[in-house]
This record gives sequence, structure tokens and C-alpha cells, in this order.
Amino acid sequence: MATSFKQIEQNLKNEARALLESGRVALVLAYTRGYDDRHPLPYTAKCASDADNIIFNEYCNANLARYLVRHPRGTKIAIAVKPADSRAVVVLIQEEKVHRDDLIILGIPVLGMKNHKTDEIIDSRTTGGLYNPVLCDILLGEEITGEPIVSPYDVLAPYEAMDKEERWAFWKKELERCIRCYACRKACPMCYCDPCFIDLDKPRWGEKAPGPGGNLMYHLTRFHHLAGRCIDCGECYRACPVDIPLHLFHKKVAKECEEMFGLAAGMSIDEKPALVDFRMDDSDAILE
Amino acid sequence: MSFEPKILGIACNWCTYTGADLAGTTRLQYPQNTRVVRVMCSSRINPSFIFRAFQLGADGVLVGGCHPGDCHYNTGNLYARRRLAVVKKILEFSGMEPGRFRVEWISASEGNKFAEVVREFTQQIRELGPQTKFKITN
Repeated sequence: MATSFKQIEQNLKNEARALLESGRVALVLAYTRGYDDRHPLPYTAKCASDADNIIFNEYCNANLARYLVRHPRGTKIAIAVKPADSRAVVVLIQEEKVHRDDLIILGIPVLGMKNHKTDEIIDSRTTGGLYNPVLCDILLGEEITGEPIVSPYDVLAPYEAMDKEERWAFWKKELERCIRCYACRKACPMCYCDPCFIDLDKPRWGEKAPGPGGNLMYHLTRFHHLAGRCIDCGECYRACPVDIPLHLFHKKVAKECEEMFGLAAGMSIDEKPALVDFRMDDSDAILE
Repeated sequence: MSFEPKILGIACNWCTYTGADLAGTTRLQYPQNTRVVRVMCSSRINPSFIFRAFQLGADGVLVGGCHPGDCHYNTGNLYARRRLAVVKKILEFSGMEPGRFRVEWISASEGNKFAEVVREFTQQIRELGPQTKFKITN
């Protein structure tokens, strides 16, 4: 049985207050109320009294790991993570963007969240097949056990069944709608490059104005840059103002990486992301 | 006019490019559709090179590197192998014909293999016809 959102919110407030009062952390990354309950905002609590502003409800979807890399190295940070977000934290630790010792991870086990636009349930099927964080110091609710594990890749089946002409027509139509606001890049915990390849002038990898050519270049390269690192939180899709299902492509790449290299992203801090690693016995068949 | 494919060949300096040299010095005949770009190692190849080549009108991309284990830099082609495998999957899922992208390990002594691969690949692209999906049209 999962702990209620109200209870988790209370636990989160208490932990945040205690951590800030004791001085063990300089800031706590959590959520606060936006203009209504459906639109919570990411929130940085910096002193014990800030802890009262923290909330947690079923619409708290933002992946807070996004905000870890913004602070100078060595800042002690406590971060509230849902199961998918905890994998993002693990990848950031693997990539040495943050140090494990600087973090206090407040894990939140959840059965399902809700998409604030559509009220669609976001459960283990859409967020990497997990109910509990893979890495945490303090668990803010009861560990969820006994729930059926559904493959996160099941949603891909209809797209994999399309033939290549249909699939091209689908992606062409979707990607042409992109307005290049870069919300996907801003929401993504793994997109921390500065500058991003698409912002460069030399070399100019793709057209910067919205248009079929530049959009394709931006998104295809982004799919590749996130290969073996994408932890399937689905924030790119929820952040997108024109609702392009980018998460489907990322999911497909994650699935292929898992099949080819036997490694799902962000499951253990002792491993490396798939593309910065190799094995002599990787099969050449993967290239055929 | 019949269709003449435009193929981008990316060859590593130590194996495939030297192999191509050997094919030339031994006077092997192969189609001229492949424009070869030399890079120092197959792991130098940014995946964006391949996407961009297709956008700028390439009908096929052929990548050549050292055999796994023979890399001049010991491990370069092992990283490249994983990276290019992902490129392949991305092209496939986006709806591009998978046959337009090929990776081959060709050592410096395999001039014959180089000519053979180029011949085969050119024929394959000829059959697939012009690449129109990614190509930017004005």
C-alpha cells in the first residue's frame, strides 16, 4: 500500500526543516504551489522557514535532478526524487556532475502521478518500470512491494509495428510542429551542455529557425546524445508546448541500448553509461 | 538521366584510408560515387556528421574503421561500434531505409575488400534510389 500524498508532503516538510536547521544541507530541492494545485513549481528551500512552502501532490512531475547541476560543486543539497528522478541522479553521479557525498536523496515511492495537461496516469509503464527510487538516503513513505512490474517498453509496440514509410510520415508530421522553444532541453536532467550543439555557429550543425531541416537535426542528435543516459522520466513530452511525443523516441533508443549493451541507464552508481563504455565482446551484429 | 548516387565515405586514417590507397595502387576498379573523407579514427565521427550528410543530400553513408582490437588508438573503434550502432537504430526508427548506412571494418591490407564493399554498397544505393526523406529542399 502506497503512502498518501498528504503524508509524503508532511514527511518531506519535516525532513527538509530538520536538514536545513541542522545545517547538513545548504538547500533542499522540492516543489511549491504554483497558481493552482495542478501546476506545482520546482522550489529551492534555503532556510528552515522555507520548508513550510513545500508541497507534494500527484501533479509534481518536474524532474528536480535538472536543478542539481546549477549549483557550484561542493554545495550540500538535499533533493526530493520520485523513482524515475532517482535514476537521473544516479546518471549525474556516474558522469561526475555531482558528488554522491554532497547529496542527501529524499526518496518518494509512488504508484502513479498525473499529467497536469491530460490527467493521464503516469505509472511504472511510462516512467521506467519502477515504484521505488533506486538510490536514496531517506525514504519518505513506505516501500511499495508486490505491485505488478509492467515493461516500460510496451507502449512502443504500435510504433514498432508501423512500416518505415508510415513511421517516417509520423515523425515528419510530429517534428515539423516543433517551434524550437527548447523546453525539452530545459526540462531534461541530462541536457546540461553549455553551449548546446544547436546553438553553435561554428560549426553550424543545423538551421536555428523552426523548419523541417533544423528540427530534424536538433531532435535526431538529441536522441543520440541521450542514448544510454535517458532515464525515461517523460519530462520532455510534458514540457513540450505542442505535445510532440519525444519520449517515445527516447524510449525506443533506451530499449535498443538495453538490448544491445545489457544496461539500463541509471540503475547503479558503479556502472558507466552505455556509450562511454565498451566491451571487447560487443557483437558486430549490432551494426547490421 | 540515370540516377548516380552520391555517397559519403568516412574512413579512418590508419586502416580503411590506407586500404583505399592500396586499392588505388593495385589499380582495382570501383565506382566513383563515394567521396571519401579521412578522419583520424572511427571514434572521431560525430553522429551528427551522418545525420547532416543525409540532410545535405547524401544518398548513402559508408563508414570504415579498423577491425575491433586493431585500433591505432587501442580502443577508439570499440567506442565507435556502440555509437554507430545507436545511429543505425535511430535512423531505422525515424523511418530511414537502414540500407543507406553501413559500417565496415577494413584493414590497411584489405584493398580488395575496400573495392568490394564500395562496389556492393553503390549497387545497393542504386537500387534504393535517391534519398528524399532527410534531404533539405528549398
